[in-house]
Amino acid sequence: MATRSSAADRRRPTPGDLLVVLAVAAAAVALLLALRQESGNFLTASVVLDGETIAQYDLAALTGPVTLEVDGALYPLTIQAEPGRIRILESSCPGQDCVHTGWASQAGQQIICLPNRLVISLEGRIPGDIDAVTG
Amino acid sequence: MKRAISFLLIPVFLLLSGCGVQQAQEQFFTMDTVMSVTVYGKGAEETASAARQVVETLNGVLSRTDGNSLISQLNAHAGDGTAVELDGDTLELLTFAQRMARLLPGDFDITIAPVMDAWGFTGEERHVPEEETLAQALALVDSEKLLLDEAAGTARLEEAGMAVDLGSIAKGYAAARAEEVLREAGITSALLDLGRNITLIGSKPDGTSWRVGIADPQDDSQSLCVLSLEDQTASTSGGYERWFEEDGVRYHHIIDPKTGYPASSGLLSVTVISPDHLLADALSTALFVAGPETAMELWRSRTDFELVLCTDQGQLLVTEGLEAGFEFRGEEQGYGYQIVRR
Repeated sequence: MATRSSAADRRRPTPGDLLVVLAVAAAAVALLLALRQESGNFLTASVVLDGETIAQYDLAALTGPVTLEVDGALYPLTIQAEPGRIRILESSCPGQDCVHTGWASQAGQQIICLPNRLVISLEGRIPGDIDAVTG
Repeated sequence: MKRAISFLLIPVFLLLSGCGVQQAQEQFFTMDTVMSVTVYGKGAEETASAARQVVETLNGVLSRTDGNSLISQLNAHAGDGTAVELDGDTLELLTFAQRMARLLPGDFDITIAPVMDAWGFTGEERHVPEEETLAQALALVDSEKLLLDEAAGTARLEEAGMAVDLGSIAKGYAAARAEEVLREAGITSALLDLGRNITLIGSKPDGTSWRVGIADPQDDSQSLCVLSLEDQTASTSGGYERWFEEDGVRYHHIIDPKTGYPASSGLLSVTVISPDHLLADALSTALFVAGPETAMELWRSRTDFELVLCTDQGQLLVTEGLEAGFEFRGEEQGYGYQIVRR
């Protein structure tokens, strides 16, 4: 009597095996495409004070200017965000290097206020982007 | 057929594993700047943390604002005849710094600290110093009065009031020490951003070169150019990083050891690219002070570094070793560029 053998016993793969392979391949490609789309065009600014994220802005979605007063910082400062860009408007820190930096508008850019241990980081994905900036 | 299926599966698994390369990032404040260490590959998390630790430990030894550091002890004993016992890291750095001072006399000097203090760049209040104060501080700047005894492992500063500041080389040294930690752990892909000195370990996880932008000294949101690099450091010095204005005049923090005033050599920024991280860091400061002629002269005499100079006339001078991986981005901002050949 002919019985159906288990996969381990069979010497030749069946068309069913091929279907499984194609399904796995299709799932992998779909996953890759989904991940790519997820990291499409966006520009987010995170404000981190001494290791703690105190604010996040979706700069691409902003429709008008917003300001954030960071009174809890050692040297209180004011952050201003607009559609597509962000800056430290004023700061009571001694060096003012953070204010001098001006607007940040590119993914990967950072504005740093050293005396306050405050970092504003811009994240996003731009075609042909760069991995790091020296300067 | 079975073989055919196996071959079909291989790229699928490669694609999937490509998504799953381990990645870890540490961001931290040390050496008076912000640093980040991004590590790819097996053990990324522990290795990134170990690299951070080695940099933070070094800061505790090399910082002159940390009263317990070896450098603070050396400075505290200036002029009293005490030979201060140092560790290997500190001795190596001081020896290197003295060699650099001899290579570019008057353009590089780690005993510039009293002048930096006179300008207030170390503390909180930046200001133009009184002429007499500046003259007194400048008289204390002389690397030859830093006496090193490599055999005994000691150093001393000959005159009271002298002080050493390793700000212009500590980050480069930190990059070298962090690289050691990463390599020992078997990491072949990492990016160190030590206060915008960029050190690249190997290539990106996908095997392509890293793309490093050089910031426009006049607009930080723009790049002058992009360089494709692997296994090198790109270190930039410019007068736009730290400055203040007094009576309508802008004064920046890179002081010319010859004059005691902010360097004014016709350059807006200097970027040095070298597999020697320490050399890249030291030269970017020294050549910003020295100016374009000396910079190109030194480049022609050696083969261990390349340069991108941004002149105050809006020209980029790019040495030929970078040409293949150079992408100009400064056109819209009004810059031009030329490739400098040997």
